[in-house]
Amino acid sequence: MNMDALNISILGPGFLAGLLVLATHVPLGRQVLKRGIIFIDLAVAQMAGLGVVAASVLGWDTHGVAAQLAAVSAALIGSVLLTWTEKRCGDVQEAIIGGLFVLAASGGILLLAYNEHGGEEFKDLLVGQILWADLHTLGPAAIVSVVVLLIWFSIREKLGRGGFYVLFAISVTVSVQLVGIYLVFASLILPALATRKLGRRAGLTQAYALGVLAYFSGLVLSALLDLPSGPVIVWTLAGLAVMLSFLHSKSASD
Amino acid sequence: MKKIIFKIILLPALFMAGFPAQAALRVFSCEPEWASLAGELGGDKLDIFSATRAQQDVHYIQARPSLIARLRRADLIICTGADLEIGWLPVLLRQSANPKVQPGQPGYFAASEFANLLEVPDSVDRSQGDVHPFGNPHIQLDPRNIAKISAALALRLQSLDPDSADFYRQRYADFDRRWREKIDEWNERAKALAGMGLIVYHRSWVYLIDWLSLREVGALEPKPGIPPSAGHLASILKQIENQDVALIVRSVYQSSRATEWISRRSEVPAVVLPHTVGPTDGTDDLFGLFDTLLDILLDYTQ
Repeated sequence: MNMDALNISILGPGFLAGLLVLATHVPLGRQVLKRGIIFIDLAVAQMAGLGVVAASVLGWDTHGVAAQLAAVSAALIGSVLLTWTEKRCGDVQEAIIGGLFVLAASGGILLLAYNEHGGEEFKDLLVGQILWADLHTLGPAAIVSVVVLLIWFSIREKLGRGGFYVLFAISVTVSVQLVGIYLVFASLILPALATRKLGRRAGLTQAYALGVLAYFSGLVLSALLDLPSGPVIVWTLAGLAVMLSFLHSKSASD
Repeated sequence: MKKIIFKIILLPALFMAGFPAQAALRVFSCEPEWASLAGELGGDKLDIFSATRAQQDVHYIQARPSLIARLRRADLIICTGADLEIGWLPVLLRQSANPKVQPGQPGYFAASEFANLLEVPDSVDRSQGDVHPFGNPHIQLDPRNIAKISAALALRLQSLDPDSADFYRQRYADFDRRWREKIDEWNERAKALAGMGLIVYHRSWVYLIDWLSLREVGALEPKPGIPPSAGHLASILKQIENQDVALIVRSVYQSSRATEWISRRSEVPAVVLPHTVGPTDGTDDLFGLFDTLLDILLDYTQ
């Protein structure tokens, strides 16, 4: 047991980062699950990474604004592509998403084969570590999240398919750098999975509550057990999601 | 009531303050070799924590809450520097918000500032690939560097904890005497090794190679951090045909697949060499580390 690390100033910024990620990913996740395009976040995050690598190969500054623009642009290109394929051949959309994922991932390796600049940024982009979050980087992420949420809960219906992919690309690019690809995937899919049989309002509320509880308990557990925080939170998310699904299936059978 | 509170809270505190604290300085070490060196110089005056273990690649680290908590309470941080920990140390220092251990403060000790660095580029040119502007950071594998660093670290401990300055001076004098005797012994044993050809996985052995006058024939990573490609492995095989190579070496945390692949095709043995204190048997301290390195290398000389 390690009580030292149980400190709000150590765990607090990570918890805030988690709340930001949950804020956008819980509603997006329900949509992703409904459409059956589970691996879209892996593909979009991988495209964002490819954008950073491309920027570095072109000799641009891989830190700061240029890299962020490259990442978002590549993610947007990916989402435009996916909007188009969903229209043309929606029945195999999940397979196309998988194809895009491996292409983006191996494209990054090919670009890096003769130019390793950007290798670290590529890695950073996909394995952001939740404990390294600080208020300085959370500010811009918070603004993006608020804008995404405002659009999502007001005029989403009018934006249609393309609007969904654009919002999704922006959210994932931001959150993957804060908490890493595993936590992004878990935050997107697991709360949505546990509440899939509930109505919109109850589903959202319970999914949010599950997410917040999982980030909180995961951070506390990782401090007490001295384990890396991101992977522990993935496990608390999964554990709580299983428990919630079990409760729902029990009450349904009663 | 006040009296009771005084007795319960203050008396034990006064009592403890009356005794010399068990550990005077809390030391946060980035790598096991510096934790071990600090132990040699500070004994039980130091409460030492190592952020990485011997089996770990120090270029990368998983963020655990305890790392921030430890660094927050530290009086001294000892790291290699020279950008070795660039991927995680700056952000860890920032998150710790501990003013005592920030770069430039007496509580920040970068070992590479006191070592002879190899492969320092004349000019930093980005077209040259991933250039380390400060030189190759794997400095711990030359015992002459350890001697220099230990002298600087002993001085640093004396200035951070002046009450025990004599203690640190004595421990350093004792360590330095034993270390220099050992260097003479190692130099004597290593005469048989001069010119031995090595294929390395990562270019983390240059200090050992320089000290013992070995030859680095090639590296399996075409560039630092880039995994070997098929074409590159083929060119390594060619080099082995043309040059005399005695051994293929890697660290414990590097994959054995590439070294075994080359070894099977060339019949040159592939081994794991200890790169710090603790990864293999017999490397419990710095003396054992170099003893073991020489034992293994001498086993493979004709």
